Amino acid sequence: MNKNLKAPQWVDALLEDLAPDELEEEIRGDLYELFLNDVSEKGVAMARRKYIFNALGFLVKSFFWKRSSSTGTNSFAMLANYFKMARRSLMAYKGTSIINMLGLVTGIAAALVIATVIRYELSFNKSHSDVERIYRVVRVSGDDMSEFRTGVSYPVPAAMKEGMTSLENITSMEYFGGAYVDVMDSTGKSVAMFREDFGCVMVDSSFFKIFDFGKSDFKWIAGNPEKALLEPFNVVLTESMAKKYFPDGDALGKAIRFEKFYDAKVTGVIADFPPNCDFPFTILISYSSIEVMRRGGMDNWYGVNDRHQAYVKLANGFAQGEAEAQIHQVHAAHTPKDLHDSRHYLLQPLSDVHHDARFGTYSGRTISKQTVLALGLIGVFLLLTACINYINLSTAQSTQRSKEIGLRKVLGSFRKNLVGQFLTETFVLVLVSGLVALVVAELLLINLQQLLTIKLIGYNFTDPFVILILAVFIVVVTLFAGFYPSFVISGFSPISALKNKFSTETFRNISLRKILVVAQFAITQILVVGTFIVVSQMRYFNNVDMGFNRDATITLNLPNTSVLADFRSLENQIKSQSFVAGVTFSSTLPSGVRRNRNFMDIGKKDAVNPKDMVVFEYQVIDPSYFEVYDIKIMAGRNLEASDTTGNIMINNALARNLGFRTPEEAIGQELKMAGQSVTVAGVADDFYSNSLKEGVDNMAFVINPRASDFCSIKLHSQGGTLSLPEAVKEIEKIWANTYPEHIFNYEFLDENIHAFYAQEEKYANLFQLFASIFIVIGCLGLYGLITFAVNRKAKEVAIRKVHGATTGQVLFMFSREYMLLILVSFVIAVPVAYVAVESWLRNFANRIPLQWWLFAIPGLFVLCIALFVIMSKSLVTANANPVDKLKYE
Amino acid sequence: MSSRIYLGELEELVLLMVALLNKEAYGVSITEELKKQAGRDISISATHAVLHRLEEKGFVKSKMGGSSAERGGRRKRLFNITAFGRNALEELRDTRNVIWDLIAKTSPS
Repeated sequence: MNKNLKAPQWVDALLEDLAPDELEEEIRGDLYELFLNDVSEKGVAMARRKYIFNALGFLVKSFFWKRSSSTGTNSFAMLANYFKMARRSLMAYKGTSIINMLGLVTGIAAALVIATVIRYELSFNKSHSDVERIYRVVRVSGDDMSEFRTGVSYPVPAAMKEGMTSLENITSMEYFGGAYVDVMDSTGKSVAMFREDFGCVMVDSSFFKIFDFGKSDFKWIAGNPEKALLEPFNVVLTESMAKKYFPDGDALGKAIRFEKFYDAKVTGVIADFPPNCDFPFTILISYSSIEVMRRGGMDNWYGVNDRHQAYVKLANGFAQGEAEAQIHQVHAAHTPKDLHDSRHYLLQPLSDVHHDARFGTYSGRTISKQTVLALGLIGVFLLLTACINYINLSTAQSTQRSKEIGLRKVLGSFRKNLVGQFLTETFVLVLVSGLVALVVAELLLINLQQLLTIKLIGYNFTDPFVILILAVFIVVVTLFAGFYPSFVISGFSPISALKNKFSTETFRNISLRKILVVAQFAITQILVVGTFIVVSQMRYFNNVDMGFNRDATITLNLPNTSVLADFRSLENQIKSQSFVAGVTFSSTLPSGVRRNRNFMDIGKKDAVNPKDMVVFEYQVIDPSYFEVYDIKIMAGRNLEASDTTGNIMINNALARNLGFRTPEEAIGQELKMAGQSVTVAGVADDFYSNSLKEGVDNMAFVINPRASDFCSIKLHSQGGTLSLPEAVKEIEKIWANTYPEHIFNYEFLDENIHAFYAQEEKYANLFQLFASIFIVIGCLGLYGLITFAVNRKAKEVAIRKVHGATTGQVLFMFSREYMLLILVSFVIAVPVAYVAVESWLRNFANRIPLQWWLFAIPGLFVLCIALFVIMSKSLVTANANPVDKLKYE
Repeated sequence: MSSRIYLGELEELVLLMVALLNKEAYGVSITEELKKQAGRDISISATHAVLHRLEEKGFVKSKMGGSSAERGGRRKRLFNITAFGRNALEELRDTRNVIWDLIAKTSPS
């Protein structure tokens, strides 16, 4: 037998420390004997395990912890005593403890939520191997490099792959979002129809080589990852899509049809992409299908589609700059000078993709690093303001406990014992609050997922990160909030403490407390003012005139393989309904998030140089478009059904940008549009085709009944006999009769437009949430302070009343100081809020002016709430009968 | 039968082992004997706990014995049954015998 066999050392050390001296020898002896027996019978590993198990068994036995009174150190007993005292004093001052706890729970819970959100946002696109070598190809153009876009022209990726040495791999993709999907049976008959609003993408087979999701539990469920995306119209579905289309099981090899036209075969099933990923893909079609679906344009170096993007993985050892230089060489080799001088393909690190709003993502979700930082700051401030509450309340309360302190000191307490006791008290309170906050935060997160646009991956309780953060919060808050009060309290001179010689007026921390209250309310006011202005701006966005009428308008997506005759019949049937005011067919909608956008360039007929051309948005309409949308025609005439694509209408902005001084001047002019000659028939008034965050775009309109993708139905806003949902039902009936093979897919225009402001809406909601949390915590603190003041000054108030003071005067006495503090904090808050809000509003082309009342109203609001809190408490004292307070003197 | 005896089932078994092992009773040997005689597999810490209770109640007394190499040079605590302990065991046995006799008489099957 090996003589050097040793039992696990740490267990021995543990026993040596913990075991009672008189028992240690026999326990360790018995354990060792058993250990040696086990080694010879069951082997070393098993013996060690049993040793640990046996030794730990002693730790749960009560005799092991029982000490004879003469032995053992005192430190454990002292600590136990701290906890006992902490419990007693927290119970003794229930009111203060509850206020402190509420403040701490709110603060810690909110900070936990923020920490979770920040972690979620920072975790985006990080689950791939070698993330630091993955880049997105982006397009920066314009003479001043001011246009930031993501699209690359179709021939670019292939040329890059061929001409660059710094690439390990490159993948191209085109996200087209929504599609009609039909599930086919083996005979080629459609058995189920679906309309997908997002998730459809064309990717090539190197996609999964670059994005391997190596650090998440993503995997291929069926199909060959190497071959699944090679052939045209091979389709890989995510697991949830496969279940949706083929509920009976195996999807592999089944047929589906896109857009009622393109037949495809399922060649793979993959796990759903993790939620913290900027690819919202659910249906992945092979990239080789692109030539069929796009019908040419594959060798056009000019045209770009922002949805067509490329990602590269650089080979080891190549820097971003070198690769960008190589891309430039490749681009310059294939294009004329005017193009490669004004358009640059650069690289954006994958880690920036989620944080750069200039380029955007397929998921439409970006969050700037500044926003993350601002969130973090808010979290820190929330914790800070909870700490301030605690500091204020416990220093204020300490005068009540002066007798206790004095007595302890007389009985021989050292200062460090008192500090220890108060820190323990703080720790107990913070610990309990922290645990409650963990539950609250979990509930908040579950309910706020929509608002925060996050998707929880796991539960907080089981997440080591959250537990760690909570532990850090608890330690930091305990030290920060507990340190100062414990030193102040333990510093009392025992004699004056016993004589209860303190009064609030001479209390030496009063100035610090004032500063803390001012700081707390300054932060609160900044947020409240900010919230008020953000909300005002949102209201402005939603109510301002966009240049067209969006009320009571339903829009339908039209199947794009339909024929003209069907439109006519649909149009006539809808028009004949009594609740319909107008119907129009067009290639897109005047505005909104979900609509088609086509851009072309146009110039005067003698323009040759690309610099003389103006980019504009091209809309196909029918003659009733302007009437239905209530857009004014400024000059010339409306387009008629008999017009060809040679006659166009332009908007005022385009007329201006083409150099016409008045709209009238443009009428009858010949222009060159995408190489073809056209004549201007009329000029329409400007309207906002973008969100109001941006300005008015150039726009031109033509008639082409075959190119309609949308049908807009304007309902009678009043006098109609049907409610909106009923009207939709009626229209759906007509639709089902006319197109039984197509899904009815409608939307309200105002909702579509409202979606522009989803991001701002989210901020506005978050701001409201945080501002209310700050107000709650601040008022809790104020309530505690005023309760304390009222209790201490009860006799003073009684004497004042005896001498003839009115209730109003007493109330004034109590509120004066705090009103003053809040006014000071308001003065501090206004300039900070002004700078912050001004820089936010500067992002928008259409914004509200910053007027004085935008600051005054929220300031007054906070003041009123604070006043209400103070009044509610001091009114009782002010109205109390003075005799009750004085008769015991 | 002067006073009532509070002896749990496990305590009784351990006490029996102490009596059985006579002068050689300590943690490990008791645990092993218990397994051999009664088929009870309990952990060493449980044995210690029971011995502690028995000593507190006065059924056993203990003293430190000699050291040995297989214990890493540490001494063992040897337990001896006291007269009080012996009485308690006998009393328990007698009580049971009386009851068993009654059972045999009243139930024919």
